[in-house]
Parts: sequence; C-alpha cells; structure tokens
Amino acid sequence: MVKRVLAIILILITGYWLANALAQVPFGADKMLVGKYYLENVKEQTGAVNAVTAVVVNYRGLDTLGEVTVLFIAATGVAALLWRKKRERTAKSEGSVVLQTGSKLLLPFIMLFGAYIFIHGHLTPGGGFPGGATIATAFLMLYLAFREYEIPHNVFEPLEGLAGMGYVAVGLIGLIIGGYFLFDWIWQTWQLGHANIGRLFSAGFIPIIYTLIGLKVGTELTGIVDNMVKEPKEGGQ
Amino acid sequence: MIAEIVGEFLVLFGTIFYFLSSLGLIRMPDVYNRMQTATKSATLGSLGVIIGVGIWAIGYVGSYAWLPKTLVIAVFLLLTNPISAHALIRAAYKSGIPLWEGSIVDKYGEYLKKEKEASEETKEGEQ
Repeated sequence: MVKRVLAIILILITGYWLANALAQVPFGADKMLVGKYYLENVKEQTGAVNAVTAVVVNYRGLDTLGEVTVLFIAATGVAALLWRKKRERTAKSEGSVVLQTGSKLLLPFIMLFGAYIFIHGHLTPGGGFPGGATIATAFLMLYLAFREYEIPHNVFEPLEGLAGMGYVAVGLIGLIIGGYFLFDWIWQTWQLGHANIGRLFSAGFIPIIYTLIGLKVGTELTGIVDNMVKEPKEGGQ
Repeated sequence: MIAEIVGEFLVLFGTIFYFLSSLGLIRMPDVYNRMQTATKSATLGSLGVIIGVGIWAIGYVGSYAWLPKTLVIAVFLLLTNPISAHALIRAAYKSGIPLWEGSIVDKYGEYLKKEKEASEETKEGEQ
C-alpha cells in the first residue's frame, strides 16, 4: 500500500514537471528550422511525395539502416535464446474449419496489401516497416490456423540476409558514384523518373530500398514468430 | 447532390447501428449474446459508414477515387469480421465460459461430451 502510494506520488511529480516544461511550447506554433527545409526541397531533391519516407530513407538513411540492424539483432537474439536441436510445434488443437478456410482465402490478399504498402512507400503513408509487418501477420495467421504449418526456412533466412545486404549494397553504390554512403544515385546521377514525380516510377532509390526493407522485416518478424511458437521436443535435447 | 445525401444517410445509418451494438454490449447477459450483437451490428454499421463516405465523396469532394478504396476496405471487413467472431466464440466455449442460465439447449456441449466418451471407450477397448 505504501509502495503504491509512493509510486503514484512520484509519477504525479514527474508528470507535473514534464507538463510544466512542455507548457512553454505552444501547440502548432512554427518551430521548424530543419523541417521547413525538408518540406520545401523534398520534391526536387528526392522525388518523393511522402516527406516522411524521404527523410527516413534519403536525408537520414543511416537511422533506417540502424533500425534494420536493431531488428536483425532482435531476430538473431530470439533465435539464439531459444535454440534447441529438436523443436516442434506444440499446438493443442487444430484451428476450426472456418478459421482454416478463411486464412487460406485471406492469405494472398494480406500479402498483396503488404507488398502494396512497401512498394508505394514514396507515395502513400507506410513504407517498409508497416508493409513487412503486414506480411508477417499473414504468416502468423497461418501459424495460428494450422497445427503443422512451418515456414520454408531455407528460403526465408537467405532472403532476410540478402535483403539486408541489398540495402547496404545500394548505399555502397552511392558511395562509389556520389562520394558518400547512401547517396541517391538513381535520382541524382541517373535522373531516372524526374518527369513523373508523384507516380510509381519516381523517387530514386526509395522504392527499391523500401522493397528490400519490406522483404527483410517480413521475413524477420515471421522468423521471430516461428521461433517463439516452437517448443523443445519431448525426449530431445 | 444525390450522392451526397445518399452518403450522409448511409453514415447516419451506420452510426445508429454502431450505437445499437454498443448498447447490446451493455444489455446482453453473457459472452455469446454479446458477441452476437457486437459482431453483427458493428459489421453492418461499419459497412454503412465506410461505403457511405465513399459515395459522399463523389458528391462533396467530386472525386471517384475514394469509392473503390472504401469498397475494398468494406469487403475486407465483411470477410474478416465473422471469422474473428467465430474464433473468439469458439475459444470462449473451449475455455469453459458458461452459457447464460436462461439458455435451454447446448447441442455443441453434448456433442463434445459424446465424442470424448467415445474416444475413451475405444482406448479402453484397445487396451
């Protein structure tokens, strides 16, 4: 009881302190210094209509590379923590017929929608991470509906690594052509798609990188799910 | 003009159904009855609101781009909502949540019981 009261008092003090500090910043005021530059120059510098993806992939590409690395480390860490030689699914019961038929029917639509999200990252909200997560939910659905389902590991794990390497390779090509890592060579040097800003084939390397990130995130999250639903086989090591 | 009125009517229709479904959540006695009201009227209400917005946009915004998108969302919702409701109710039954005390027939429970007895008998026969 004393502990709970103390905790509530501490949280209230912290909250008051934060609110006091944030009260100095009026909501909606024009506080942008760098933001204005992004909004004014995003179209001719990157070709992306979606300013967020332009910032995330183009202006601050290293952050995204770091995020992808964090996710990769998380997937590897889960796999390392749960490593056993003999592991198999221990689902108690099969999903019902309605669930199985429904998930079979919905699977291609969810995959298609995930691919749509990450291919159109430079035009619509979304990008590689939401698209990849959507694709991973399709596989999660299969895991929940079918007792025996298992992803093809010999396809998924190489694809994950190749997609990550592809991202770094695109950045390295930029280093060779433009002089710095993650230089947008397709837009700046080749000037591909300059005529059709706002259409699918524009925005330099953003769609390419987002396709790679989408594949990587999708396979990675599926791999984490796959690791977590399996339990060591009885009698095995 | 007509599209605007039709769209507004559909949105109103949908929100009324939303209200009825949330009312049903409070009024109904047990999980199964609550799921009944929540899924049916919430799905129908969503269809009304979503397609209504698409039709409203033709008249008010003057754009035909909204309607196909809202139709896709509506079809997706129409396909997924019953499946999720089915899975939730099945899980609720299997984890032993009782029916309302006023309910009379429980055929599924009887079937499960019979099946269990039959499987036990065959096991004993094998031994």
